[in-house]
Amino acid sequence: MATADSGTGRDWAVAGGPTVLALALGVFPLAVLFVESIGPGLGTENYARAVSPLYRGALSYSIGVGVAVTVVCLAIAYPVTFWLAHRCPARYRLAGLVALTLPLWLNYVVLNYAWVWILARGGIVNRLLVGTGLLAEPLDLLYTQVSTGIGFVYIYLPYVILTMYVSMERLDYRLLEAARDLGATNWRVFRDIVVPQTLPGAAAATLVVYARIAGAYATPEILGSPGNVMIARLVVDAFQGYANYGFAAALSFVFLCLVLAGFVVGAAFPRVRRELRGW
Amino acid sequence: MSALTVDGLSKSFGDETAVSDVSLTLEGGEFFSLIGPSGCGKTTTLRMLGGLSSPDSGTVRLDGRDVTALPARQRATNMVFQDLVLFPHMTVAENIGYGLARSGVTGPERAQQVTEVLSLVGLKGFESRDPNSLSGGQQQRVALARALVNDPAVLLLDEPLASLDRALREEMQSEFRRIQRNSGTTFLYVTHDQESAMSMSDRIGVMRDGEVVDRGAPRRLYNQPRTRFVAEFLGDATVLTGTVRERGAGTVVVETGAGDVTAEQLDRDPTVGEQATVAVRPETVRLDGGSITGEVIDTAYKGFYAEATVACGGAELVVRRERQATLPDGGEPGTGPLFSVGETVTLSVERAVVVANGDG
Repeated sequence: MATADSGTGRDWAVAGGPTVLALALGVFPLAVLFVESIGPGLGTENYARAVSPLYRGALSYSIGVGVAVTVVCLAIAYPVTFWLAHRCPARYRLAGLVALTLPLWLNYVVLNYAWVWILARGGIVNRLLVGTGLLAEPLDLLYTQVSTGIGFVYIYLPYVILTMYVSMERLDYRLLEAARDLGATNWRVFRDIVVPQTLPGAAAATLVVYARIAGAYATPEILGSPGNVMIARLVVDAFQGYANYGFAAALSFVFLCLVLAGFVVGAAFPRVRRELRGW
Repeated sequence: MSALTVDGLSKSFGDETAVSDVSLTLEGGEFFSLIGPSGCGKTTTLRMLGGLSSPDSGTVRLDGRDVTALPARQRATNMVFQDLVLFPHMTVAENIGYGLARSGVTGPERAQQVTEVLSLVGLKGFESRDPNSLSGGQQQRVALARALVNDPAVLLLDEPLASLDRALREEMQSEFRRIQRNSGTTFLYVTHDQESAMSMSDRIGVMRDGEVVDRGAPRRLYNQPRTRFVAEFLGDATVLTGTVRERGAGTVVVETGAGDVTAEQLDRDPTVGEQATVAVRPETVRLDGGSITGEVIDTAYKGFYAEATVACGGAELVVRRERQATLPDGGEPGTGPLFSVGETVTLSVERAVVVANGDG
């Protein structure tokens, strides 16, 4: 008993410091932000303004972009990681994984500007299309929702692929054979076996990228149209443009609540809930 | 009509021939085992029959219909996999009902069939259980039920008992046999365990290096093996070589290093003076008072019998002595050594068969 007690004490001593530090780093800035948001004088006018129709559009647009891009990334990552984990010859697997996740090691802003060069009116895509005679006039690809979407997928797909790959590699291929043997078509195999077995990976990938896309600043700034304003732009404007810290903080909190609400909706699916209980 | 007809099935992986010109015929309701050492191509053959792997050449017919080009899901075969691979995210009933659902059997009908097959495999009331929480033997039964419930033309079993301990394996063997009899399903069972194959099967095919080298009822294969390989793979056998000295009616006398041995010639017809190989089962070697004299060079205690390796001239013979219930001198059975190294024994070979040396 004595040894067990002193063991617990030591555990606390070892783990306590870092845990307190982690909590402080995570919670303290949020607490400060919250205090700022209800100031000056414990009012709710910042929040009232943040949920006014003017900002509601930008908030829902941001959440929508977050969901849509996450879905597109998952739709691409599923077949890619399945192929990589179960079809690709083992000796090319690492090379393939590195190639797919290469963008992770470049600066975020640089990655966005690479697409400016590719999608611009005089960019490589338009020059190819016009040069081969497929189009008479270059297309307006840049500064549209299309270019923003491409930029987002390009930047966040590596995270989704890496997370999904871990799950996909753990997927027992013989389960697929068993399902086929019992009469399942490819679609049923995917629905009944692949998705449930890789759900933890998909959930983890969603956790990593969804909120970051919805709250992204650089990509819509560089590739997006000025007409489609995302929430980060408004927060930055409030902080830097007119130094309204309280409103910026309130807007951030509303956004955080919306992101969390998105997760709650996701957790409403029984299958997702069962998966979460396993964690 | 035969349940399964396989004709000239072959498959190579790169330069390596896995299965070479395998032909088989299974009658409806038969329990057929395909046995052979690991890497002999038996699992590859099974996967081709189930449609999980496609042959380089040859045909597979189920109830007379050519299914060689059909994928697994369109074949009337179902597989019990080596490591069972039950769907871990489904209940027992969902696992078993999966194949029924894919063939369009709806809710109540499906539930009833699942209940029936569960009681056939002795798991009544297990519908809503999580397969991960079941014991090894129970998981075996679920895996069997999942395949059996679809009423396949042939049920393919890929060494499903390999991972069980001996007692459970024996229990499951007799269960498999009982379930097979009761359901009337044709079983094709693949294993490297000759003992379980012999105790369960109506017929056995012995594979080696991708080919079926012999086939027949277990008793025929055991008592009249055609090749040295079959004699040694099925049960225990001592193989002696020598020169044919004399021919009799269906038998030949072979002069071996151990002395003269009379052997059944089966379908071989060796002439006098020719080299011949004979296989001798240990239980057909009699102790005491034979023409063969030898010295015990190794002994092994096996429980209800003891085994001795005896050097007789230029050859070695294995002989067994059963433990008596009570010993003549009133001693406790099994206390004293049944053989001792260095002891001189006299033996006679009661029964031997001429076999082909090599692969045959």
